[in-house]
Amino acid sequence: MNETTKQPDTPRSSVALQTARNTAKVAGAFALIFLGLLVANFIGTAVIGPRRENKMAAMRALLREDPTDEKLLADIRQLDLRIRRDRLWRLDFARKSSYALLGSVALFLAVGKLAGVLERQGPRPGHVADRSAEQIAESRHARWGVAAGVLVLATAGALLLGLQGPLAFVKAEDSGPPYATMEQKNHQWHRFRGPGGGGVSSLTNVPTAWNGESGAGILWKTAVPLPGKNSPVVWGKRVFLSGATEEKREVFCFDADSGQLLWRGDVPARAAVAEAEIEVMEETGYSASTTATDGRRIYAIFATGDIAAFDFNGRRLWHKNLGIPESMYGYASSLDTYQDRVIVQYDQADAEAGKSRLYALNGLSGDVVWEAKREVPNSWSSPIVVEVEGRVQIVTLADPWLIGYDAATGTELWRAEVASGDVAPSPIYAGGLVMAIEPYSRMTAVKPTGQGNITETHVAWQSSDLAPDICCPASDGRYVYVLDGGGLLLCSNIADGTKVYEHELRDNFMASPSVVGDKLYLLSEEGVMHIAQLGPEYQEVAKCELGEACFASPAFADGRIYIRGEKNLYCVGGGRP
Amino acid sequence: MARWRYILITLVCLFALNVASLAQERFPPPEFETDYVRPTTTMPQPEQDIWEYVAAGVLIGALLLAAHLALKRRSRKAIFALMLFSLVAFGFIRKGCVCTVGSVQNVALTAFDPAYAIPIVVLIFFAAPLVVTLFFGRVFCGAVCPLGAIQDAVLIHPVRVPNWLESSLRLLAYVYLGAGVLFAALGAAFIICQYDPFVGFFRLGGNWNILVLGACLLLIGLFVGRPYCRFLCPYGVILRQFSRLSKWRVTITPNDCIKCRLCEDACPFGAIRAPTEPWPGKEYKIAKVRLAFLLLLFPMLVAGGAWGGYLLRDSFARMHPQVRLAERVHLEESGEVEGTTDASDAFRTTGRPSRELYDEAAQIGRRFAIGGAIFGGFVGFIIGGKLLALAVRRRRSDYEADRASCFACGRCYEYCPKEHERLKLGEKAVVART
Repeated sequence: MNETTKQPDTPRSSVALQTARNTAKVAGAFALIFLGLLVANFIGTAVIGPRRENKMAAMRALLREDPTDEKLLADIRQLDLRIRRDRLWRLDFARKSSYALLGSVALFLAVGKLAGVLERQGPRPGHVADRSAEQIAESRHARWGVAAGVLVLATAGALLLGLQGPLAFVKAEDSGPPYATMEQKNHQWHRFRGPGGGGVSSLTNVPTAWNGESGAGILWKTAVPLPGKNSPVVWGKRVFLSGATEEKREVFCFDADSGQLLWRGDVPARAAVAEAEIEVMEETGYSASTTATDGRRIYAIFATGDIAAFDFNGRRLWHKNLGIPESMYGYASSLDTYQDRVIVQYDQADAEAGKSRLYALNGLSGDVVWEAKREVPNSWSSPIVVEVEGRVQIVTLADPWLIGYDAATGTELWRAEVASGDVAPSPIYAGGLVMAIEPYSRMTAVKPTGQGNITETHVAWQSSDLAPDICCPASDGRYVYVLDGGGLLLCSNIADGTKVYEHELRDNFMASPSVVGDKLYLLSEEGVMHIAQLGPEYQEVAKCELGEACFASPAFADGRIYIRGEKNLYCVGGGRP
Repeated sequence: MARWRYILITLVCLFALNVASLAQERFPPPEFETDYVRPTTTMPQPEQDIWEYVAAGVLIGALLLAAHLALKRRSRKAIFALMLFSLVAFGFIRKGCVCTVGSVQNVALTAFDPAYAIPIVVLIFFAAPLVVTLFFGRVFCGAVCPLGAIQDAVLIHPVRVPNWLESSLRLLAYVYLGAGVLFAALGAAFIICQYDPFVGFFRLGGNWNILVLGACLLLIGLFVGRPYCRFLCPYGVILRQFSRLSKWRVTITPNDCIKCRLCEDACPFGAIRAPTEPWPGKEYKIAKVRLAFLLLLFPMLVAGGAWGGYLLRDSFARMHPQVRLAERVHLEESGEVEGTTDASDAFRTTGRPSRELYDEAAQIGRRFAIGGAIFGGFVGFIIGGKLLALAVRRRRSDYEADRASCFACGRCYEYCPKEHERLKLGEKAVVART
């Protein structure tokens, strides 16, 4: 191209060339005009539109506060009409103008091309030289060009690798299922009264001395934003609680080491709940149900029937309402988890109403995996997930049935008629027996291995020595400990239910007893923890005062006890274990 | 004036795109307080099959006509007219679909996915230009392809792209072809369609980023002839190879080349090759050593490319929607991201355990490990082949249109004095055979 000599510039003044140039100028001018109009239209849309939308939003907010304001309603309608008319007009204008602009550009290009053709000078090549050197150089440059291309591709690939990294879920392939195993749960306090719901921990380093008022032995104390009777749930370095009033429902996550409130998860009310009047007993409150975790997510249910799941960072994954429960004292059953399913014992109304259910909800989505219809009235006990002879069962207790379900399918395995009335204490599984309490009446031990109605065949023993109305029993596998609200502690043989001893604690109790290592922990409503040695006779180890009323059962972790007071959450124990 | 013209065009194109994107804006339906029932949304019926076959027939007709105009009639004006017809017919009327360029992906998918049956019309759109190219060269590019036509229409002031830049940029088309086939074959995406830069213009609206990409290519196309066709078009890569084998081909001169050099700068696409002399003696020895070195380098480039492609397997796999979903769900479950997406929400409503999703995605990831290695090996092969081609000197005695690069647009005819002579004498052109 360089060697080609061009003719000297001799501008053609042909009519065609001039016409093409002038037409190009006119088309360009039109294009600019349409462009200006479109820019103005764009600015109008981008600036005025949002301003009016904001005004509309503000007016709507005002109307929500006072829905009877007819003038405001008329103004909103007027503004809405203006917004819509304006936007339709602008869209129409933009469409027409863009066609005109494209037409102008097309004309400009066409006549510009024509002018270019008319202006074009013919080539006038000069002397034909040997171009070998030039062609060799071109080939060399081209090779380097390809090499540069390779370099660019390699750099792009390296950047891609560096920026994106490997697929995260592939690494997670070996990290097990998206939920904690039962073995992992056994080392945590993942539900009401810990693994199996029996209030049992094998830890031997749990504190036995503290004082809430002086702060001795207290690692931290943090105010809980909303009231609730539910117990702490502990998973790793996180402690979970829930709280609620008539208006609000929240889940709280505390740092286990510092007590810092890490996040609060709001559970909004569904419209039906917001409008309904839900009556609960003051002693029960709106948040008596203890949360549960599957090691990945935390689940909470409230007296309104609202159930929600949060991830460990406080992001609400799902929320649904199971229907406002018809519960005489207010819904209080705690949750449990099986694999990535959350287990909900949703007993309500009379048995004849047929409204009671046991649900297994998908922890990831909240969808019902299975549900089992239950011929029982409202109850306040909690389901337990236990492994019996290699099979995982969900055991529930309500008037009159103690029922074992297959955890995987929800199929009923067995049932025993052991209770009546308002059932609140949850069953426990220890020593191969399920212990169930009929308040003020009896405790029954059942072998959970049969099929169908096993009342006549699998009841190991019954005892009428003590049957509390709220507190659940606890067992170390040899003895069963039962505590009533008035402070009477009964110790029985698990083998046959015979009484071993009785002891009067002279305190009131709502929290259930816990068996930790070789000790029995009994937390009174006054906040006094009675610690006794396990065994055939009552031997007091210590009495520790918290200085705050307590209604919830404590949670036990490595070297620590988490106690929910009426207003504060306490961590008893040392620093980082 | 020229400078202002270009500035003006630049501004106009950019804002025209902005307007096109604005036209997509909508607002929510009114909140009716009466018992008005909103009509259900209806979807337009798919086009009748007959029109698909009509389109395929028009394509074949246009291809044969283009071959006639380029090789027999040698008329740039007629080719230009046919090009404008194709721009309107296959671009604006058919909205750029079915697109021959994109049909490569359908063929790739049907080759690797037995569950996918390629529509016969798509197969025709893919195969007809290839068959015609085997006989007549790239007449499809010159007069039938709407993507080429829209670029050709805006070319006003062509400048020559240096050889070294042309050589390196052309690699992009091979990479694009490889990636397009890889992602289509493994069911990840039809990226050639997704990133079709001009379909937004044909449809008068579309994705903002793609419109900007198209506008940029058109702006470049004012000065650089057909940038997409030369440096990006994946179908063009296949046509290049077919054109090398074509039975007949476009020639600059209708009969004999007199080496007048008048055509030297005629091609805005840099497809005219000047005559070459034998290697100078000293260069010949160096060239032999270089060729030997590049021959040794060739397998290493293929192996290195395959290794690089294998390393990038996860990045490639992310193009697959299932893999992206699995990654998103995992990030959500591990708390590494906040919020959910429509896709992750939809997945959760299925009730499927995420383990299943991860397993599926991992399986797809393994396929991408193989596919990535093949893709990388292909790129290495192309680079090695290109370097070898540049190390070999081909003898040419005349000015020739490069058989692989020539779009058969017919611009060069009028530069040849022999063509003027032919037209004056009313002689028929001699169609060059291989």
